[in-house]
Amino acid sequence: MTKPPGAISPAAKEERLAEDEEIFEAQPFDLLTVPVIGPLLRWRHSRTILQIPLFIVSLVMIFEGLLGPTLSPKNMATVLTWVHFRGALVIAILCAGNLFCLSCPFMLTRNLMRKWVHPRFTWPRRLRNKWIPIALFVGLLFSYELFGLWASPWLTAWVIVGYFVAILIVDGLFTHATFCKYVCPIGQFNFIASAASPLEVAVRDHEVCDGCKTKDCIRGRREPSSPLVVLQRGCELALFQPAKVGNMDCTFCLDCVQACPHDNVGILSRLPAAELWNSSQRSGIGRFSRRNDIAALAVVFCFGALMNAFGMVSPVYTVEDWLRRTLHFQSQAAVLGILFTAIIVVEPALLLGAAALITRAWAGVKGSWLAIAVRYSYALSPLGFGMWLAHYGFHFFTGLYTIVPVTQSAFADLGWPILGDPRWTLVGLPKTVVEPIEFGFLMLGLAGSLLVAWRLAQDDSENNPVRAFAPWGVLCVILFLCCIWLMTQPMDMRATMLAG
Amino acid sequence: MNWEYSRGRRKAASQRFSVLLMLAAALALVVSGCRKAGGASGDISIDASLSPQPVHTGTEAVTFRLANAAHQPVAGARVQVEGDMNHPGMAPVFADAQEISPGNYKAALNFNMCGDWVVLFHITLSDGRRIERQLVVKGVESN
Repeated sequence: MTKPPGAISPAAKEERLAEDEEIFEAQPFDLLTVPVIGPLLRWRHSRTILQIPLFIVSLVMIFEGLLGPTLSPKNMATVLTWVHFRGALVIAILCAGNLFCLSCPFMLTRNLMRKWVHPRFTWPRRLRNKWIPIALFVGLLFSYELFGLWASPWLTAWVIVGYFVAILIVDGLFTHATFCKYVCPIGQFNFIASAASPLEVAVRDHEVCDGCKTKDCIRGRREPSSPLVVLQRGCELALFQPAKVGNMDCTFCLDCVQACPHDNVGILSRLPAAELWNSSQRSGIGRFSRRNDIAALAVVFCFGALMNAFGMVSPVYTVEDWLRRTLHFQSQAAVLGILFTAIIVVEPALLLGAAALITRAWAGVKGSWLAIAVRYSYALSPLGFGMWLAHYGFHFFTGLYTIVPVTQSAFADLGWPILGDPRWTLVGLPKTVVEPIEFGFLMLGLAGSLLVAWRLAQDDSENNPVRAFAPWGVLCVILFLCCIWLMTQPMDMRATMLAG
Repeated sequence: MNWEYSRGRRKAASQRFSVLLMLAAALALVVSGCRKAGGASGDISIDASLSPQPVHTGTEAVTFRLANAAHQPVAGARVQVEGDMNHPGMAPVFADAQEISPGNYKAALNFNMCGDWVVLFHITLSDGRRIERQLVVKGVESN
């Protein structure tokens, strides 16, 4: 029996949904019902309260980056950005959800701006996809390697400044949350990573929504006598709660929680990564299987993790030297460009293309190879997330305490050494402790990817899911072995623009 | 609702926003121009070298000569040598330098990772003045 990808019979679909419900959704945990945390998050100003500390930290980082020590390990901008922020972000996504977008400091300035500036334009229809943020995400990874951003407090500060400026320009001109949905590369990273999160902003009881007339969760609430006055925003990312599936495009802003007059939106537990095999229509997104751009995001997310880690180990310099000699290139940008193209474009195209062709030929799944590749590319996302976790988790845990001497030093530089002399020997957890955690993250990622691939295969080939699964399972294992190899290589961090 | 009035207000607000944005950009440029210089200048100079070259992971000898403005050797200084990876979050390594002849010093520093390093010289002169110098060591290779 052959079917087009994703075309599951209604009976089988119901059976699998019931299975998922049995696992997690029968009695989901709701974070908003937890004492202290729940009321805090439901408070109208909760997001602002969470944003203010990060905003202050951002300003300190800009100040330190531009005026502080030029040596990266001594500067708060580089230490916080490249050691603590990245690590805390991925760990928060793994343990809870998209908490960075919730407390995004850039959105604080944007919300402040919008008190006076009311954008007049709508984002062009042709740009309502993920291609721009994918390009920006790759650009950020490329710049990170080319300019050695981790080694430059000054450039790190300018990246933060650039972010503030970009969001003010984009959201100053365009309505709704254009920057978050169609521009922000960190946001897209968070969206695709949080597919593996255990929490999701979701409707508590769909029957309540069936009887809802006002749809405040998406429309918001306006002053009855003056419709231009917004009392409460609805979802600015066009996610209609009753039809919302998963965490894609959800910034955890909780506007829908505030807006729902029936108190019917919660932060609910769910089966992590289950949204990746969900082929239903999603509000504000459509079907995953028809979104080539989101599939490309998942692929770039996975292979970008490999590239980002590859740029930090010794073999990359051997490859770069070989490319320079072979192609007679002098330009570092050109060599890096070739490397990026090979790892983020050519390699996935070949691997996913081959796996899709085998799935079609061997399991008899109907549809073009591209459609099959798009559908299964989401299975790579958990493994990619595992690699980001392993990489960023490594820096986070091994450099956990470095914030202490850096803060001591910053106070001393201001002529106010109240925290004492910097204890530069205070670093973090030993590698012997961190390495097993890294491998744990990778294995978790592999397990997630295999599960997603298996569930997609079950939907595509009810009679012989093993055949549909095998190419993708093998691909996941190959990528997992690449990740393991990368994590066991000696670190070798070079930067073309060193301080001093 | 007075639409003309509203539009006028919006236009004025947009102009205010543009001016604020330009001011912020100008301020940021000025601030970035005030960036600290990488290593203070002074009358003490350092001429440092590592051997053997290229530098490999493991303990390497860092030799350096301190001289004053008249190019005379500066003897009797206490020097702590610190090695930092260029990536934040890595453990720094330290070594105390020994004076091997007047103005010439030597320290054994353990480069425990491949990559680019910055070596800092924390110098306390015999008159109690404290100065700092740095040396960039690019591309430490594996053994």
